Amino acid sequence: MSEDRGTETLREDPAEVAPNMNEDRTLRQNRFSVLISVLGIYFLAGILMIVGVMVSERFLSAANMLSVVGGVTILGLVAVGAAFVTYSGHFADLSIPTTMAFSGVMAVEALQFGIVAAIITGLLVGLVIGLINGFVIGKFRANPIVWTLAMAFVIRGLMRWIWSNRQIYPEVEGAATGAGQHFVNLYRYHLLGVIPMTVVVLAAFAIVLHFVMKQSSFGRQLQITGASFEAARLSGINVSRNVGLAFLICAMTAAVAGIFLTSLSRVGAYYMGEGYDFAAVTAVVIGGVTLAGGRGSIVGVIGGVLVIGLMRNVMTLMGIDTFAQTIVTGAVFILAVGIQSNSLRRLGRDDA
Amino acid sequence: MSADSSVQNDIGLALEMTNITKAFPGTIAVQDVTFRAYAGEVHAVIGENGAGKSTLMKILAGAFDDYEGQISINGRAVQLHSPAVAREYGIGMVYQELSLAGPLSIAENVLVGRLPGRKGLFVDRSALIERARSNLARVGLEIDPRIAVEEISQHEAQLVEIAKVLGRNPCILVLDEPTSALSKEEIDRLFDTISRLRKNGLAIIYISHHLPEIFRIADRVTVLRDGRRIDTCQTSQTTTEQLVKMMVGKAVEELFRQRDHEPGGEALRIEGFTRFGFFHDIDLHVRSGEILGLYGLSGAGRTELARSIMGIDPLDRGSLYFEGRAVVPRSMRQMVDEGLAYLTEDRKLSGLALRLSVRDNVVASTIPSLCRNGWYNGSAARRITQSLIERLHIYPPKDSVTVANLSGGNQQKTLLAKWLAVKPKILILDEPTRGVDINAKVLIHRTIEQMAQQGTAVVLVSSDLPEVCSLADRCAVIRMGHVIGEVSGSEITEERLLMLANGEGIEKEAGE
Amino acid sequence: MRSQTDVVTFVNRYRILLLLALVFLFMALFAPRFLNMFNMTIIMKSASLNAMAAIGFTIVLICGHLDLSVSSTISLGAVLVIGFRPDLGWSGAIVAAVAAGGFVGLVNGLLVAKARIHSFIVTIGTLTIVQGIIYVYTGGAALNVTGALDFAVADFLEDPILLFFPPRVIITILVIVGFEVFFLRTKPGRNFYMVGGNRETAWLAGVKADAYVIWAFIISGCAAALSGALFAIGISSATTDLGVNSLMIIVAATIIGGASMNGGKGQVLYSGIAVLMLTVLFNGLNRFGVGSEFRILASGVILASVVLYEAYSNYKKERIRGQRPELLKELDPQQLKNVTSSLKTREL
Repeated sequence: MSEDRGTETLREDPAEVAPNMNEDRTLRQNRFSVLISVLGIYFLAGILMIVGVMVSERFLSAANMLSVVGGVTILGLVAVGAAFVTYSGHFADLSIPTTMAFSGVMAVEALQFGIVAAIITGLLVGLVIGLINGFVIGKFRANPIVWTLAMAFVIRGLMRWIWSNRQIYPEVEGAATGAGQHFVNLYRYHLLGVIPMTVVVLAAFAIVLHFVMKQSSFGRQLQITGASFEAARLSGINVSRNVGLAFLICAMTAAVAGIFLTSLSRVGAYYMGEGYDFAAVTAVVIGGVTLAGGRGSIVGVIGGVLVIGLMRNVMTLMGIDTFAQTIVTGAVFILAVGIQSNSLRRLGRDDA
Repeated sequence: MSADSSVQNDIGLALEMTNITKAFPGTIAVQDVTFRAYAGEVHAVIGENGAGKSTLMKILAGAFDDYEGQISINGRAVQLHSPAVAREYGIGMVYQELSLAGPLSIAENVLVGRLPGRKGLFVDRSALIERARSNLARVGLEIDPRIAVEEISQHEAQLVEIAKVLGRNPCILVLDEPTSALSKEEIDRLFDTISRLRKNGLAIIYISHHLPEIFRIADRVTVLRDGRRIDTCQTSQTTTEQLVKMMVGKAVEELFRQRDHEPGGEALRIEGFTRFGFFHDIDLHVRSGEILGLYGLSGAGRTELARSIMGIDPLDRGSLYFEGRAVVPRSMRQMVDEGLAYLTEDRKLSGLALRLSVRDNVVASTIPSLCRNGWYNGSAARRITQSLIERLHIYPPKDSVTVANLSGGNQQKTLLAKWLAVKPKILILDEPTRGVDINAKVLIHRTIEQMAQQGTAVVLVSSDLPEVCSLADRCAVIRMGHVIGEVSGSEITEERLLMLANGEGIEKEAGE
Repeated sequence: MRSQTDVVTFVNRYRILLLLALVFLFMALFAPRFLNMFNMTIIMKSASLNAMAAIGFTIVLICGHLDLSVSSTISLGAVLVIGFRPDLGWSGAIVAAVAAGGFVGLVNGLLVAKARIHSFIVTIGTLTIVQGIIYVYTGGAALNVTGALDFAVADFLEDPILLFFPPRVIITILVIVGFEVFFLRTKPGRNFYMVGGNRETAWLAGVKADAYVIWAFIISGCAAALSGALFAIGISSATTDLGVNSLMIIVAATIIGGASMNGGKGQVLYSGIAVLMLTVLFNGLNRFGVGSEFRILASGVILASVVLYEAYSNYKKERIRGQRPELLKELDPQQLKNVTSSLKTREL
């Protein structure tokens, strides 16, 4: 294909066209930059903890800590899956909110067949959406942002077509079998009476997905796919399948999160999950999974989720109102990612 | 530093670069180089990769604002601190990496930065098309200038790039490896154009790896090595050997085939291989322990053939036998699992994930076999990488280094390591030494020979004639999608291959 | 000389016009109470909000970046113009609102071009920040104007003065056509495309790529704020989430209109027409009595089809890229049927 690459070769990063990289440079790695890129997010979390302690003595109380974690578990579930999409070099899955809503609504509809059927139905929704996204983007290379946006439209339209603007209530739908109460309790169940089950589920997902990303055959190949799609393809890696799987994982965790969210709100509706797409991107990216793909880890993403939770909590304790909080969150987001990508660039490791 | 040994007096000094130095973090790319080019001459600049040619020319193009030294153009001292300024002074630069905007029309690419205007602000579209057309005619390209650049082939794009620069009527024209994507006819036409421009009094700086071209077109040649100027001399008064000696700094040890063993059984055979419009009815076979050269000019269909063999691109007709067994190439994974490996020609684009470490790249094709029950064995990966780093002398010898930070030669060695890690039975190499320094080249050649010695069937796709001649046991020549000849043993000479590849009677290539 | 003008090329080039004609024809024939002056006015009015905002989104996309902050910038323009009205008067308030939008764009542009942070990140960030600012400014409530004179202005903007074109729509059309001519026919306009098509080329040709990127974001901010402001004046009220639903429609319209996420492609006018097409579709479906749910579904299906079609034709094109015409001549006509040429002419 020697003569066919013309336009692609043009897309080389200016930084790469310019100087001849020198070997010595790698040996004099800027330690600070390395530290930022690996531990930056926990460093930020630490600062927030210190600020929290200074702001209020209630901050370190078990109740408050639980509320920090509890406030972001659903986001955490979404983020650990969404991280795979970003890691695969495909930016973000904008169909996350509708996937969450759809799986929640479908689960509620299936409550009449019992709680297990409900959960399975909800997960199936994620499976189907994930497969469609994965196939179209993996096989035909549709732009992920635009395609998942189209999916979001379609799913939302479907939901509103079927249920119009109705909200459906698990306690009503599942009244006959008593499954409704179980469903509502899903989110509220505590292990040993103290640890919320959602947190345990999140922890389990995070641990498993961390090893999937870092230690599985799929995860290792996904890393190369994310860092350079073409190089991965020409290494004999089944890139379509890997990208498809990344979207599948994302949709599945979104479905799980959707079930919990519906359980939490005691209502299934088309608008559930709104805002979780960008929130997940925020957590994923400040957690160190760069948009360029192939970099970052689930540990970092959990850090990103924690930082978001801590930030909200500290700001609330400081008496900053919700509106102003969004301003600060946005600013911190840009700043954190800016510092991170800047230090990666200085290492010659990144161009995003 | 030797003095400028050539004498020029009858024509004016177009460009004088005095004591130019440019440092990058951790390295000095160009050191104290003095360079002169006269109006009406073609001045070749040669040197290995990393010798500083590109950096020197980028300084001239105004790509850097922090070089040291003086530059004067037509006797006027100038500061070339931005591309705009450089262009202002009449420097036209044809880049090796084509710098065209794919989605835009040819016309706009040709006239970028100087679109013909009407009433100041507005673009005059008919003038745009007309001017683009006449600019394209100067390089002999007949094409509708309204076509988007992304729709045309790479050699057409190369000509568009040259037309773009020529259109600015530069007084100093820099051509950086302009012929790498061109066919022989197009090269002839380009050289005609260059000769005409020389007569018109342009100073032409011609950068190339291809020594025969330099003897054909250049009046003088400057050799750079390690960022320093070694010498400048008249091409009529020097020889290839002298130039090579200057480039390398020592006499190159000639590579000779030293294999004494007989090739084994047939490893791969293809019959009637056809992909419509790319290659038609190709029959080839290679035995284990044999190196089969596949020589052809770029665009002849060599790479496309290799990709179809590997299952990357579709195949319209034909059959493939692997160790006598019929195999249908469906995916690259399948072919890699069968024991084939394919080193791609463009390491930056399709070979390496530049942002990942050497280790991640080396094991890229081996991941499934490094996994037990689906879980990745990190220490095995490290072990394999470390042994390959040692075997191929990859520097720095650390498996955690980011590949983007390696030199071209070490990147290429990393790419080769990736395919050695697969332990292939058949190794297809596509331009394995393009753009690497001489030491890496020698090492890669040795490794290829070693592989063959150990029984691997090697298919060497290359347009580097000396490389093919010194390594291949047998060589098939591909031209315009067809295998038009096969030579073996002592018949493999540069003249014979060139003649076949050009599809004519004996073509005398100057200096070859 | 190589050029080709066949049906496929024609359809590809004028895809959006054909789509609009098709949707319009269908609705005119089958939708009840669709084809009348009043309804046309409604369509034009509801299209103009997103159509003007789509200018900026398109031009940022042409430069190879994303501007997700348009939705909150629309709301910002609306809220500020109503908020500043008592102090600055209408004209002053519009200028202030547009300037604020431009400032948001400037911040986006500087962060993208100078700090080199990915535009996806930057504009998600500014999206939330601007939304937060709006909430803080309004306290979360809708703002209204009350004076009789103000309503007069609103009526003027909203009542058709020519066929079914009220002044607000005419302003929108003028702005879009103005930008279309600017981007298509002027030298600085073409440079936006060059920057998006290949930043390096643009830079080497002396085009200040960073400046163009920053200007693209500024235009985007201004256009979004202006569209929000005019809309707010027209309805004499500004809600804090006016632009929330716009983002999806703008993105969909821009892509359907032919812009590419890779930059260098797209036209302001076509994005505007795509918005109009979607609005006609929504409106027509409304006339059928189906609710908003179906509109969302329909626009989703259209966007998905366009994306799929593009992805699939790219996929097919990739497979034949680099074919040699002279080799194809060897094939007999039967085989040639399966082989299509990849060469097409594109309008400047």
